[in-house]
Amino acid sequence: MATVTSELEQTQNSAVYQEEVYSNQPQKLSLEMQIETPENVILTYQLAGPAQRYLAYLIDLMIRMMALFGLWIFVTPMLSIVLPGTAIGLLLVLMFLNTWGYYTISEGFFKGQSIGKHFCGIRVIREGGYPITFWPAVLRNLVRSADSILFYGIGITTMLLTRRFQRLGDLAAGTVVIQERSLKLPRKPVILDKIKPLDKNEIGSFLPRDEVLSLIDEFIGRRHVLTYERGHALAGILAQNLAERLHYTGDEKKVTHYPMAFLAAVYKTFSFSQEEEEQEVVSEYLKQAGFGEFRDE
Amino acid sequence: MNKHKFIQERRPQWKRFEEFLQNSSRRSLSKLEAEQITEFSQLLREVSHDLATIRSRGWGHDLISYLNDLVARGHNLFYGAPPTNIAGFYRYVSIDFPRLFRANIGYFLTACLLFFLPLGISWYVVQNNPSLATRVIPEEMMTRFDQMYSDQKDTESENAKEDETESEEEFGGSSFGDERATMAGFYINNNVGIALKCFALGILLGIGTVYTLLFNGIFLGAVSGYVISQGHGERFLSFVISHGSFELTAIAVAGGAGLMLGNALIHPGQRTRFQSLQVRGLEAVQIAGGAAVMLVVAALIEAFWSPSAVSPMLKYIVGSVLWLIVFLYLAFAGLQSDQSSLPVSQLEPSEKSGERHSA
Repeated sequence: MATVTSELEQTQNSAVYQEEVYSNQPQKLSLEMQIETPENVILTYQLAGPAQRYLAYLIDLMIRMMALFGLWIFVTPMLSIVLPGTAIGLLLVLMFLNTWGYYTISEGFFKGQSIGKHFCGIRVIREGGYPITFWPAVLRNLVRSADSILFYGIGITTMLLTRRFQRLGDLAAGTVVIQERSLKLPRKPVILDKIKPLDKNEIGSFLPRDEVLSLIDEFIGRRHVLTYERGHALAGILAQNLAERLHYTGDEKKVTHYPMAFLAAVYKTFSFSQEEEEQEVVSEYLKQAGFGEFRDE
Repeated sequence: MNKHKFIQERRPQWKRFEEFLQNSSRRSLSKLEAEQITEFSQLLREVSHDLATIRSRGWGHDLISYLNDLVARGHNLFYGAPPTNIAGFYRYVSIDFPRLFRANIGYFLTACLLFFLPLGISWYVVQNNPSLATRVIPEEMMTRFDQMYSDQKDTESENAKEDETESEEEFGGSSFGDERATMAGFYINNNVGIALKCFALGILLGIGTVYTLLFNGIFLGAVSGYVISQGHGERFLSFVISHGSFELTAIAVAGGAGLMLGNALIHPGQRTRFQSLQVRGLEAVQIAGGAAVMLVVAALIEAFWSPSAVSPMLKYIVGSVLWLIVFLYLAFAGLQSDQSSLPVSQLEPSEKSGERHSA
């Protein structure tokens, strides 16, 4: 009986979890798109907005125009000397490919990026996070001719009405355009040699959550980006709040005048002390189990 | 476990995974060794797990976004489809397209009705009352038709031999084939473009497709009726019959595909409208692609065979054979191949993730 209920609870929990992940989306107005991978991990993609895509479109347009102009200027006259008719025929076929094939070929065979998209750092992927394949690329770009009615008025309208900025071609092919981000190695967490941890007598028993500590960690890591005043102004809010919760009884000036230093001290106190405590707990446990002397030696 | 320790411990694996991604970004996974793929898939799962861990513990935005991007790229690489190639194109033309076409033949028949019925009516009406042609055909175009066919008719009435020399002179001697290449390019650019647009406009609830089909049907019917009423019947029909097989059928095929798109939005069935559009759309575009291939064939026939100076009788025979070929191709091609699911069903978004998951 117990196992049955626990199983039931588990399924309910996972259902709630799923619900949360998906039901959040319609209300949020955000550039983030979440998908769940087969490994049951939620991945977040940054969607590309209309402006970014328009820029990519302009670059592509320029390239296409230049390519046609180049063909017209150089290739056709050269061929014309020998076979004028064939040259014009060829030019017409190339014009056809330029109109209908440019995007299909570039997106279908070069992992969802036309040249313009490459420059703008955006890419077409399928809604499930998979790379785009040939036929969706064809569909997406044939429907472009419907989207481009009234100077892309239809495309822009549907983009603004859908939460993933999809034009009709995207909706039909099940694709989205995302921003590519370059991989940034996470910094090693700050090691604060010069900062002293807070005195244990000056604080209560409150333990800040991991999220708060990580926030402080990242904030301190980026402090060079901000001016001195601005950094302190931002840190002040959190420092005050933390001081209150910790029932900090030490130097009041530390909180109000040097909030960044105070935050660093808080970070040092908890992120390192926790580790020590964990070790203490473990060695305590080992001692009780009779491994104490063995381990100490 | 502490954040520092965790990062210290896992960092080598992340670095290794990153290297993998960088090395294999240009090549596809299929070129890696079996062991490497095993390692890659293991790393993907490990990094995914790390991401989940870090998310649940709230260990920092930077770290999450780094791992997120890492997993996203791995996911992209790992679940990517194999590249399309020439063999795929052959299979598509010989099996996939005709089978998809037959599976959705209802749309084709509807498109035929929308295209051939007005064509027939306007043909009949204009042939019996040529003055009505001016309501459909622009005047310049009518004078061009008059010249085109009456010139040839005059020469034909004199005698066949002169006709040949005359037409050669007209086209600038030996460059007959060269001139025709221009027309081939023109037909490809123009006709295939119109058909693809006819398909694509189907997404506007089918209205664009219906309009294009009706318009082209009425227009072509009026042209046929007008030209025949002016007494150029044999020249016109012998010119049109050969490429007409591929061209007219392909217009209806593309139109049918466009109607599929429209109908997917109007009658989504059990799916949401967008899901329905995605599933049916992927089928429809493969049918439209077939129409495009057919139109390229039609363009070549129209440019190089239809205007050639052989007897009309021969053109009628060849034309009839071509009609038969088109019919046989659409009706029977790929029929004997294995009856496994059509290629589209594998691409269905909802099924895809499930399949991948079990694999």
